[in-house]
Amino acid sequence: MSREIIAEAREAVARALGLSLYPGQLRAAEALLAGKIVEMPTGEGKTVAAVPAIAALAREGKGVHVWTANDYLAARDQQWMAPVYKALGLSVASISQHSTAPQRRLAYQADITYLTPHECGYDYLRDSIALDPRETVQRPFHAVVIDEADSILIDEARIPLVIAAESNDLSAHLSDAARAARSLQRGIHFHVESDGQILHLTDFGIDVAESLLSSDNLYADPDLLDALQSALHAEHLLRRDVDYLVTPEGILPIDDYKGRTMRDRRWPAGLHAALETKEGLPPRREGRILTAVSLQNLTALYPFACGMTGTAATQADEFRLVYGLEVEVIPPHRPCVRIDHPDRLFRTKAGQYQALLAEIATVHATGQPLLVATRTVEEAQQLSAQLELPHHLLTAKNEAEEAAVIARAGEVDRITLSTNMAGRGVDIVLGPGAAERGGLCVLGVGRNESRRIDNQLRGRAGRQGDPGASRFFVSYQDDLITQYLGTAEANPDDVQRLLEGRHLDLRLRLRKYEHILEAQRLLHAERRLELDTPEEKLRHDDLWSQHLERVTQYRAGLHFLSYSGADPLREYLRLVHDWFEELPLQDPEASLGARSRGATWTYLSTDQPFGTPFSRLLKNLLASLHLGAKKPPLPKV
Amino acid sequence: MKFFEALANAFKIPDLRNRILFTLGMLAIYRLGGHIPTPGIDAEQLEEFFRQNQGTLFGFIDLFSGGMFRRLTVFALGIMPYITASIILQLMTIVVPTLEKLSKEGELGRRKITQWTRYLTVGLALVQSFTIATALQSQGNFVVNPGFGFVFMTMISLTTGTAFIMWLGEQITERGIGNGMSLIIFTGIVVGLPQAIGNIYQKAFETREWNIVQLLVIIAIMVAVVGLIVLVERGERRIPVQYARRVVGRRMMGGQSTHLPLKVNAGGVIPVIFASSLLTFPQTLTQIAWVRDNAYLSAMLRSIQHSEPLYIILFIVLIVFFCFFYVSIIFNPNEAADNMRKYGGFIPGIRPGKNTADYMNNILTKITVVGGLYLSILCLLPEIMISGIKLQHLPLIGNWVDAYFPRFILDGLNVNFYFGGTSLLIVVGVAMDTVNQIEAQLIMRHYEGFTPRAGRIRGRRSSA
Repeated sequence: MSREIIAEAREAVARALGLSLYPGQLRAAEALLAGKIVEMPTGEGKTVAAVPAIAALAREGKGVHVWTANDYLAARDQQWMAPVYKALGLSVASISQHSTAPQRRLAYQADITYLTPHECGYDYLRDSIALDPRETVQRPFHAVVIDEADSILIDEARIPLVIAAESNDLSAHLSDAARAARSLQRGIHFHVESDGQILHLTDFGIDVAESLLSSDNLYADPDLLDALQSALHAEHLLRRDVDYLVTPEGILPIDDYKGRTMRDRRWPAGLHAALETKEGLPPRREGRILTAVSLQNLTALYPFACGMTGTAATQADEFRLVYGLEVEVIPPHRPCVRIDHPDRLFRTKAGQYQALLAEIATVHATGQPLLVATRTVEEAQQLSAQLELPHHLLTAKNEAEEAAVIARAGEVDRITLSTNMAGRGVDIVLGPGAAERGGLCVLGVGRNESRRIDNQLRGRAGRQGDPGASRFFVSYQDDLITQYLGTAEANPDDVQRLLEGRHLDLRLRLRKYEHILEAQRLLHAERRLELDTPEEKLRHDDLWSQHLERVTQYRAGLHFLSYSGADPLREYLRLVHDWFEELPLQDPEASLGARSRGATWTYLSTDQPFGTPFSRLLKNLLASLHLGAKKPPLPKV
Repeated sequence: MKFFEALANAFKIPDLRNRILFTLGMLAIYRLGGHIPTPGIDAEQLEEFFRQNQGTLFGFIDLFSGGMFRRLTVFALGIMPYITASIILQLMTIVVPTLEKLSKEGELGRRKITQWTRYLTVGLALVQSFTIATALQSQGNFVVNPGFGFVFMTMISLTTGTAFIMWLGEQITERGIGNGMSLIIFTGIVVGLPQAIGNIYQKAFETREWNIVQLLVIIAIMVAVVGLIVLVERGERRIPVQYARRVVGRRMMGGQSTHLPLKVNAGGVIPVIFASSLLTFPQTLTQIAWVRDNAYLSAMLRSIQHSEPLYIILFIVLIVFFCFFYVSIIFNPNEAADNMRKYGGFIPGIRPGKNTADYMNNILTKITVVGGLYLSILCLLPEIMISGIKLQHLPLIGNWVDAYFPRFILDGLNVNFYFGGTSLLIVVGVAMDTVNQIEAQLIMRHYEGFTPRAGRIRGRRSSA
């Protein structure tokens, strides 16, 4: 049956697009239909390969969602493939962040809907809190085909999509706190922890802050303390143009993991407001989270899921353990002739840079195009300053030019210096004469946190049988290595493997904490179906919001439980269960009302690969549990 | 009772039921091994020896081996070598930098340490079994055929037994329910229960040693002690911790108070083990002839024998001391304060840093004293019930006490007060822990149908 549809679709593709699907692509289509994650090399036509599978799923008449990396790709792929689907008698639509509710409803009625997982998730959440059933836009989920599956199912899996209601909380201390924060100095009044993410006042700093804010005891006034902490963070840790941009739209955070600005992301309310105060913008009100779902849990709502990506094989264990999805690797249609040179190791950062600059000069002399990728925006800027040759710098600041810069990155004599952002989406096509000069040469500055991300970067070169080369320059002073193994001379491969294992371990543990809340959300949603009046539904939603808040706050201090020798997971489960059980008996503290609903955002994902502050705490907690001295693994007698 | 309720619910879920049955099966195997004697021993002689040495260090080892030490079965060493090995490795992680690093390396490092713990357990078991074998030989009439063959055979039997128990325990922890090692100790103690009840029945209704009032008083005390244990073991002082909605990793967290729980009895039974070991050590010296012959030394040793007033005072002091010792190992207020500051927590009204550490230290001191006294009462009660407090041995007032105090205070009731002391503490502790774990499992299963677990998303076969 499925083979017949694949054959039919193959013919439709050939007639409508003039493309002939080669055996690898057909095999990919079959694997997708078997519910697998398909690994296909970059540039081998993943988008087209998925068409037969999508068509077969759509024939069931219950709707298929195709998740793409961004709005642009959703629209492009939909338009591109529309003739094929039309030939097969299937309707297709796409959704972008600018789509209106009626447009969305119509698009979800189509047999096939191209959209980003974010749009899909927000629509799902909005439907789940709709007061009138006629307001909903989605049909029940049937099947999803995920493009760039590793990015969505692993990197971004745990980032929650959030729907919030505007609340009336706006700190009264914003401007006082901002003024105080400006006069406090790093090293004297406060210290910043090594990773630049944590800041705490010194004893002297507390004295000064108290006199500046005319407070007797800062620690007896949580609101004031809260405002001060946010202001300090905004003033001293977040740098304009590096961590965020100020635009007419307001403040846009930059994800330094991906190096992009993010329109629908924001810092949690208090900090966002503090930042707006710092930049002289009117502060927005805080939002209170109504409901949230992570991409991982959203994916799990589909009875059928499959996906494709250029890099999945190294994460096969995770796909199987977490999602129950197998990975199938499709061999390249044209063999990859890219040469992956072994890493070059350096004792110091200085040595690494020196050799890197020399290598750039050598390669550039031959006219071979170069892509140099750094791990952070900062590093890219540093390198740019040291590099005397003409080059193109690509960071979040000029991401608008991304497509243009990347499109020409394969031209002869071209040097492109970029953060990891150049890793996905748009292909780098070689310019005339570039292939004769050895194709694109990718130079990585330091290894990334997983082999998969390294492979993605390498995959920029040598697409579709093009020549190409890649090499990583690693120094023992790279964060990745110093952070995890001290100053010991360790093999970067070992560090990566260790990290991958540890991250998987942590993600699996975290799931145990998150499962219960997601299960409760679904239970709560099920009960909501029985409610009739908007008033009842409002109360129901308020209760959930309250529960969510309570659990989130409880989690923040969870690591303290280990001090009593209790198993934090057990305590957590018991309490969260009890709270949920007594939820219907409670009264909402404050109704959020219907008026202000609908602000959507996701949290920043800068501390990849760990999604939430809670996970950081848990990491710390686990570390302290492992730390034998504190917790002897004696039998509990 | 909650315990049975949890158990009944657990049996309705196949996976949980299997886990519980697996645990019971493993424990049954453990008990079975407890009836296989080590070859070449005269069991009756040995039994007699232990009857005379109750309450000494030997008594403790016997408690942890569930009576198997007394009968010198193949499981005689029990799980003690493993406990000792883990304590040694724990202490070493503080001292040895390599180990400290390993312990911080997460899963892999932990596994390595566990592996070393196992090796050390085998090593300790070899040494202990050697000591036991040679001691038995030198004592004369326990061993049927003394010689190298006996020593070697005993070493192999006992070490293998310990290694096997260790494996059983790990299997339970991994595939069963509860902490395997704890449950093994628990089993060893609980099997004595029917006999103890029989004993009481005998005294009350057959030999008529006790009248009905005495019986009721004893039962009342037992119930009270169990209640006390449950109460105190669950007892904790909750220090409120408030989070400024502080940014970590650029996100907000917290905002409402949570707490840091400090347990009243943090060390569990461990301070008692330490204190008893230390106090019974001098008794071992009486085995040496010249100590026995030295009038001064022997008088001193006699005054710290069981139920002597000095012994009781020392016991209490040592227990309290070891409670502090244990707490100081597992909880460092400075570190906790630092940690709290780092994650944006604070105790309302109290400054972070030194003030916070001092505040916690103060509370810790108070509850640890209480915890220590509780442990002392728990452990002394059975001793006093057996043999009273020998106040008449006190200097100056001794004769007066002897004349006017009731005999049951001075000589005890001669009741083998089974429900007291460490064994009860262990039994209640393990039971509570196991029930907690079953409950947690039950809660998880409760949401199972709704949880997006692995495999929930299923690709259909290609025939779909």
